[in-house]
Amino acid sequence: MIKEVNDINFKDEITNSDSIVVVDFWAPWCGPCRMLSPVIEELAKEMGKDVKFAKINVDESPIISSTYKVVSIPTVMVFNKSSVKETMVGFRPKADIKKIIERNL
Amino acid sequence: MGERYDIAIIGTGPAGLEAAINAKIRNKNLILFGNKELSPKLLKAPKVNNFLGFYNLTGKELKNHFSAHIESMGISIVNERINNVYAMGDYFALMVNDEIYEAKSIILATGVEYTKPLKGEEKLLGKGVGYCATCDAPLYKGKTVVVVGYNKEAEVETNFVSELCSKTYYIPMYIGKYNLNSNVEIVNGKPLEIVGEDSVTKIILEHSEIITDGVFMLRDSISPSQLVPGLLIEEGHIKVDRNMQTNLEGCYAAGDCTGKPYQYMKSAGEGLVAALSAVSYLDLNKK
Repeated sequence: MIKEVNDINFKDEITNSDSIVVVDFWAPWCGPCRMLSPVIEELAKEMGKDVKFAKINVDESPIISSTYKVVSIPTVMVFNKSSVKETMVGFRPKADIKKIIERNL
Repeated sequence: MGERYDIAIIGTGPAGLEAAINAKIRNKNLILFGNKELSPKLLKAPKVNNFLGFYNLTGKELKNHFSAHIESMGISIVNERINNVYAMGDYFALMVNDEIYEAKSIILATGVEYTKPLKGEEKLLGKGVGYCATCDAPLYKGKTVVVVGYNKEAEVETNFVSELCSKTYYIPMYIGKYNLNSNVEIVNGKPLEIVGEDSVTKIILEHSEIITDGVFMLRDSISPSQLVPGLLIEEGHIKVDRNMQTNLEGCYAAGDCTGKPYQYMKSAGEGLVAALSAVSYLDLNKK
């Protein structure tokens, strides 16, 4: 399951999360984001037990997007509390993203 | 969204054509992306003397033989520019502006005709450097953006950007008449370096500098690793094994894009191997 996160619930859902959180920054107008979504969904199904998955619409969450300097989407970040462990910009194949998440477990 | 092809081939040089011919012989449902003129490099060759069976020909004559060959086999060329190829897991999505083609396997035969990245460009990719202005422009609302355009199509994207950004600069890399909005400032000069630590701060040109939040590089062709995210590159070429298999399952490469020598016979041979490898892959994955 992928949690919808925004400027308001960011702290509750991500900073206060017990597990690491994989965050997909996206927007409805972004073509590559639409292609990445099903990949993230598959990963969420496979890894959902150990990792939390979230998505942030950058249009609706300008504060978080600028705090974390998201200037190209899709951007996928791996959060551990408030620190960013990994940043991946642009589409990536599933195996690549999986590898990057796994090294943070 | 249309049908899902067995094999999508990108490039119409000797490697792509030979791959297409063999995919056709093996009765696979293929789609070939490229140009009716096949390959600009081939057209320019004054003399080709080491292509087995065809000697003492100009590049143009050889090209005519290639064209006749694929036509006789009923292979047509789709004249579209692929912006990105995404490995979706069990298939590939080929992005053409708003359209998407799907294929179970792909063969990259894109040649080596891409310009080297600017200094700092790769380091700052996604940190202010982008390749698709229409994709990322909304993230630069109210900011300053520089567009480096290599062709007329870049002007359309620049105009789109200028409607969202507070300041837009355009650096044309070609000579012509520029059809740009009045709020776009044209700067002439050769870009040398993109500067920034965590994000882009400026672009350095031969005789000037521009302070900016973002730089869009809109080139004619992009490098293989940008074309196919996740693709492994080694010393400037796509890394392949003897079967022309890349690091991505179902993705093969052939011709100059895999490395030297840049020769037509070598490219054609690799195209053949890539096609047969793709066929084996498809047969293996048949459900």
